[in-house]
Amino acid sequence: MLIEETLKRIQSQKGVQGIIIVNSEGIPIKTTLDNSSTVQYAGLIHQLVMKARSTVRDIDPQNDLTFLRVRSKKNEIMIAPDKDYFLIVIQNPSD
Amino acid sequence: GNDVTPQVLYQADPAAVQAKASRFFMDEISAGGSASDQTTTTGSFTMPFSRYHSITPFLFFCSLSDVQGKRDAMKELVTEDMLKEVIEVYISETDSISLLDIPSTFVSVDAHDAEAIIERNNQYAEVCRNRMGNDKYVDRSMQTLNGEAKNKQVQSDSIVMVDTAATVTAWDMYDTYISPEQDETVCVPQAERADYPEVAVDTSRGAEKNMSVGSSTSTGSVASSLKEQEALGNGLNAESELQLIMLSEKFQHLLLVTERSILGNVFQPKLAAYRELPILEDSDIPMKPGTVEQREDTESPRPPAVECLWAFSCELSRGRSVSSMAWNKKYPDLLAVGYGELDSSNQKPGLVCCWSHKNPTWPERVIYCDSAVTSLDFSFNNPSQLAVGMQDGSLVIYNVQSRNQLCVVSSSECTNKHLAPVWQIRWTQQDLSLTGEEKLEALYTVAADGKICKWFICNNGLDCIELMKLKKIHNTKKKSVLSALSPGLCFDFHPRDSSIYLVGTWEGLIHKCSSSNSQQFLETYRKHFCPVNCIIWCPLIPDVFLSCSSDWTIQLWKQDHLNPVLGFSSTQKAVCDIKWSPKCATVFGAVNEGQLEIWDLNSSILDPVIVQPAAPGVKMTSLLFATQTDCVLVGDSDGQVTVYQLKNLSVGKNSQVKLRNR
Repeated sequence: MLIEETLKRIQSQKGVQGIIIVNSEGIPIKTTLDNSSTVQYAGLIHQLVMKARSTVRDIDPQNDLTFLRVRSKKNEIMIAPDKDYFLIVIQNPSD
Repeated sequence: GNDVTPQVLYQADPAAVQAKASRFFMDEISAGGSASDQTTTTGSFTMPFSRYHSITPFLFFCSLSDVQGKRDAMKELVTEDMLKEVIEVYISETDSISLLDIPSTFVSVDAHDAEAIIERNNQYAEVCRNRMGNDKYVDRSMQTLNGEAKNKQVQSDSIVMVDTAATVTAWDMYDTYISPEQDETVCVPQAERADYPEVAVDTSRGAEKNMSVGSSTSTGSVASSLKEQEALGNGLNAESELQLIMLSEKFQHLLLVTERSILGNVFQPKLAAYRELPILEDSDIPMKPGTVEQREDTESPRPPAVECLWAFSCELSRGRSVSSMAWNKKYPDLLAVGYGELDSSNQKPGLVCCWSHKNPTWPERVIYCDSAVTSLDFSFNNPSQLAVGMQDGSLVIYNVQSRNQLCVVSSSECTNKHLAPVWQIRWTQQDLSLTGEEKLEALYTVAADGKICKWFICNNGLDCIELMKLKKIHNTKKKSVLSALSPGLCFDFHPRDSSIYLVGTWEGLIHKCSSSNSQQFLETYRKHFCPVNCIIWCPLIPDVFLSCSSDWTIQLWKQDHLNPVLGFSSTQKAVCDIKWSPKCATVFGAVNEGQLEIWDLNSSILDPVIVQPAAPGVKMTSLLFATQTDCVLVGDSDGQVTVYQLKNLSVGKNSQVKLRNR
């Protein structure tokens, strides 16, 4: 399936540490990391995405959040939100 | 216990306006349904009932509706006629209610104690007579005894207090206004699932986040799919949720965007170099020990070189040989690459991949073709149409815009189609445009059967007209029996006058033809004695063209001279492909099997300025210049398309030397 192949390709890209798919309640439904990290990422990022989305929509209700990237010293967290779920990818580009 | 509250006999409303007490009218008790929503009843009585034995019949009225209200309601209905109307009022007597009833006992006159009773009766009658003014009887007040109070305890249902809070945001209000349209589809299934907790509905409206189980924190518009999931019950576990997500198209798109972002990170320095942006040092990434910081040496000019940026390759294309490449006319970063084995021993079906610099590891579109691809070109007028010529002579036009790419039209049914490999295919815009702005464009092909055809789409198919037959020009001594046509290998239209074109043939001859004359060649240029692999007009200098051939040479011609102006040769290998640089009129690139050569006629006409050898075991097969940047793309026999950046190529001796940052 096309989606499975794309996920495998992403997983094999240089520096990708993990992929997490979280549903709208903040519960991770698919992950490639260990359990404790997954739960931690899911919970914290869930709040961040809600806040970010609320910010974008407050400024203009017709607008909506499409992508969120958080660059930190050690890695980069990319979040692709949708109505019912969001996709988190953690990458360390210097690997 | 039992309910022992005494029922009142009547309900007097002390608040009723007394003025109305004198009025009495009878309402139709059956009038209206307003009887149910009235708590106050005004009773108007004709006379109070006396306590004593005379119980007069009384008129017991109870207006069931508020007088005031009734009057207001009736105001509109009362007209002049109605006022003059004679209204009949019926008064009826109610039943008598007896409060005290002590029946007298009758004693027969003849009984024993009849006399005593008569005596007593007489005494009683006298007492009644003497009652007034008699001393014996004194008026005395009495207090009625208060009855025993009984405590009754009643317990009502406990009132559950719930704290709710809501945060209203601008987008929440916007969503609420929008949602009636979206809710229409959700309305029906919602009615059936009324037994589900209301909590879900409320919190999904963007109320304050509840951390309780089962609450949804999805902000934004009502998510109908979320409701479905909840409505399906708690039996929906993560597995099926995941399946639902995986199947959605939106997820596919999100994955695409994410993949591009990741690759953007990975390839960022290369892509920045491609775009000629300064490459920023990432201060977060620690410098690996051992790397020497290379500073730009501004004093002495560095020699021209190519730097390999990246290579488009994936597992699909590995092992196939790149036969042709073309840029899209509208989006100059979209590259179509055709793969096909050119030696007929290996008959693998062909492949066309559309690559974008956003993802160098996987093509945007993959098209499987029936036979090996030999040439391709994008259309001018419909930039999503890609014409592909194949080894079996067929010509197919694909539309690359949609993911499920469809073949637009194929030439398989055409009767005049080529029967031999289509070596080159070209869309050309014609100058004549009498009507409107859009230039007409036409599709031309040259094939190994010696024909040059012009194609057009008709009746859902392709049809062609022959533009030229490549007749063999041989001396009168030899008489060839086999075929009178010589295979054409390449052609190119004049950049300014699209009716003139050049054709290179197998015999090494180059013919100049006109599209209006299909019988004769205008000119023939002879120099090569091996098949001419590529011919190309110079885009910047008029009437100059280059040709390359398997006889190891490259020739530079001017249109009106029958002999080449210059000839170049550097190695003893067949030159496969040759291209002019779009920016600099003296620079051109050539690819022979073993290396990439960049020639700069300003610097040297004997040797190429830059030579890049191919990787061992790999032959370079095709070449393309990037239109916007100083990069060159080289396709090789392993299916890789490598992007090289030209560095330090001086533009003319007198102008400044361009130095690039690291």
